[in-house]
Amino acid sequence: MNRYFLYLVILNMLTNVIIFVPNFLIQYRYDGAIMSILIATISGMILMYLDSIVFARFPGKGLPEIIENRMRVPFKIILFVGFSLFWFTAGLITLLGYIDILHRFINPDLPKVWLMVIFLAAICFVIQLSTQKVVYLLEIILLLNGPLVIFIFFKAITSDYLNWDSIFEIGTHFFTPPKLTPIVVASYVFSGYTNIIIFNRLFKEKIKSINFALILGLSILNLFTSFLVPIGFHGADGAHEYMYPWIMTSDSIRLVYSPIERALFIFLMLYISITLLSVSVHWHVAFELIKGSYIKKQSKKKNWLVFACFIGFSILAVLRIDLLKPEMVIKFWLIARYFFEIIIVFCFFFFLRRRKA
Amino acid sequence: MSSNKVQSIHDSIKSKIQKSEDIVLKELKTKEKNLDTFYFKTLTDETQLQNFLIKPFFEIITPDRFLSYLQSHPKIKPFESEQQTLDELIGGAVILFYMDTIFILDSRIDRNNSVLDTTVETTIQGPQSGFSESLGTNLGLIRHRYPEPSLQVDSTKIGSISRTQVMIVYDKNKVDPVVLDNVKKFLSSIDIEIFQSGEQLLDFTKKSRRTLYPTIMVTERPDRVAVNLTTGKVILLIAGSPFAVLMPTVMKDLMASMADIYQTYWIGKFLLTLRYIGLFTSTMLPAVYVALTSYNPEVFRVQLALSVAGSRHAVPYPSFIEVLLMLIMMELLMEASIRLPKAIGPTATTVGGLILGQAATDAGLVSNIMIIIVSLGAISNFVIPISIFSFAVRISKYLLLLLSIFYGLVGVIIGFFLLIAYMVSLDSFGKPFFTFIENKSTN
Repeated sequence: MNRYFLYLVILNMLTNVIIFVPNFLIQYRYDGAIMSILIATISGMILMYLDSIVFARFPGKGLPEIIENRMRVPFKIILFVGFSLFWFTAGLITLLGYIDILHRFINPDLPKVWLMVIFLAAICFVIQLSTQKVVYLLEIILLLNGPLVIFIFFKAITSDYLNWDSIFEIGTHFFTPPKLTPIVVASYVFSGYTNIIIFNRLFKEKIKSINFALILGLSILNLFTSFLVPIGFHGADGAHEYMYPWIMTSDSIRLVYSPIERALFIFLMLYISITLLSVSVHWHVAFELIKGSYIKKQSKKKNWLVFACFIGFSILAVLRIDLLKPEMVIKFWLIARYFFEIIIVFCFFFFLRRRKA
Repeated sequence: MSSNKVQSIHDSIKSKIQKSEDIVLKELKTKEKNLDTFYFKTLTDETQLQNFLIKPFFEIITPDRFLSYLQSHPKIKPFESEQQTLDELIGGAVILFYMDTIFILDSRIDRNNSVLDTTVETTIQGPQSGFSESLGTNLGLIRHRYPEPSLQVDSTKIGSISRTQVMIVYDKNKVDPVVLDNVKKFLSSIDIEIFQSGEQLLDFTKKSRRTLYPTIMVTERPDRVAVNLTTGKVILLIAGSPFAVLMPTVMKDLMASMADIYQTYWIGKFLLTLRYIGLFTSTMLPAVYVALTSYNPEVFRVQLALSVAGSRHAVPYPSFIEVLLMLIMMELLMEASIRLPKAIGPTATTVGGLILGQAATDAGLVSNIMIIIVSLGAISNFVIPISIFSFAVRISKYLLLLLSIFYGLVGVIIGFFLLIAYMVSLDSFGKPFFTFIENKSTN
């Protein structure tokens, strides 16, 4: 069941386009983005490895089961609610970002709240399933969408309009010293591993190193694709003019013989299910963590209350999104997330490593 | 047993049986011995009675020798309890009172034991015969196709009134013990009055008793049963039904036809792919039509979008009304052609399909493309080999249609996602429903 770890990380890699990762990288294209990507890769891999060896000591157990008898109840509640807030916002930001995209490009007439409602309905159905079922769904959706991802990647790389000179120009800025923001932003690609705190329930043995090798290769490919392909299409100077560089890029790809001429629609349709899944995975973790705080006294009412909170917050957020300046919020969130990740991974490392399962 | 007790049982059974036309209470007598028999002549095979009982009774003269004949005959069981005797009597056995002993002769008549041709799951090649309506014959058919000593048969009864005999058949070495346990628990939890066919079990697979996708399969083909036994499935045979029930059933089984095995590898794979394409189109097409004509015509290239719009120019209402109209018409047509007598069936298809479809386009009520989409959807639906599943798919397209009416293309994709998520959430006796990996037996 090790392959599910790979899927969790791949899912985050695919969502980076929605959460403005390419924007921030393109913004720093002359200011050390490439070096930052490499550093982010190293730091991401180290954090991932540390986290996986900690959880490998507790085969088949998620964080709630590990901590169950090790902590006093008030601490546990604070810990779990705090953690699940983080996962909840991770999902919420992705969801808001994608609803904004859909509103702009596919259904401009439909109010965002309506879109939110249907997304929430689908997501709520998924997050209440068992962890096992969530990864089954993850696997099937990735299998169905994988060919489309490869197709669009292939079409983009082989397109006549991809200007390699612009990409090489960015290459000349290779040795520019890295900056914090692009490092933090690029490291988002790796953070799928943090979901292990719940999904470790399915990992009965140590994660095989082939997974890490695959993740390393895919993440470098993924980061450079999402950063450099828009630059190749829109020029080294022009690329940062767009709010959604990847969507404009996919709209620049023409499928000459297909009944659907603009690759944009294939791209957007593909991302509907990827987003649904990504949000579902994050919120599933959030939901299971909150459930962990009342692990001994489960009741349907409490679960419904949690759902109501999720739904209420999301609808409030979608109503008020314009006031929030999404780009700034996401930037701060990405930075906060990076430090949060470092802290929890090291905490786990020092507190849990020496404990017995 | 004392003669008083036998006499009291005799009287008590006699009083409990309602006086009816078909009950026979007959006393056989010779000089040395006498024998009382109770039976229903409608349930009992009287030639067996003649051969096994009446002839020997008059041929064997001494009472002791006849007693030992009764004791050693394989079809004759000794008395256990009064209730059991009564049940056997109602089931068609003959009750014998002889020399202060009670015997039960199993001579129930086996009607409907002729093997039927397959009519629901037809294949071009391969065996053409299905099950019969007789339990014993069906079990024989299975044993004939699956001659393994590890084949185990358990028996149970379902239905508080019908008390239908059900046989649980499985290969002891291949069955997953967890699945077998789940199946037995499931069978004992069923609360039903009249149980006549395996399809009735479908609704009991969920707690809410409302099921859309079947997690149990019903088949009329003994060859399918034999193949499924090798994959460790549990088979139920139901008295009086020419259909066997297979558990657990996952989606892969519902999409498989026996023809896949009787074809060469590539042809089989091609047909399987075709079926999945059919599944996909029959669920998606109407919804995609609404989404692409009313919400997002820009998805198509200009020429195509224009020709779709051109085909719709005479239609005076929005696309979703057009689709609903045609779909309902199609459903009515399908339902009618099942119910109609075979002689009128073709007329219904001609009237419905040709005349109505043609006239509807000419009258400008629906577009030409709509006709193509509805018929393509219906035809793709027929490709699904198991009829229960094809009904479920027929219904699930309305969910997608509903979402596409309100949300356009986004709704279609979310609906599709939801359908997949729903299928993933289903379990069939401990096996995940939506899986493509071969179930390997645990042993």
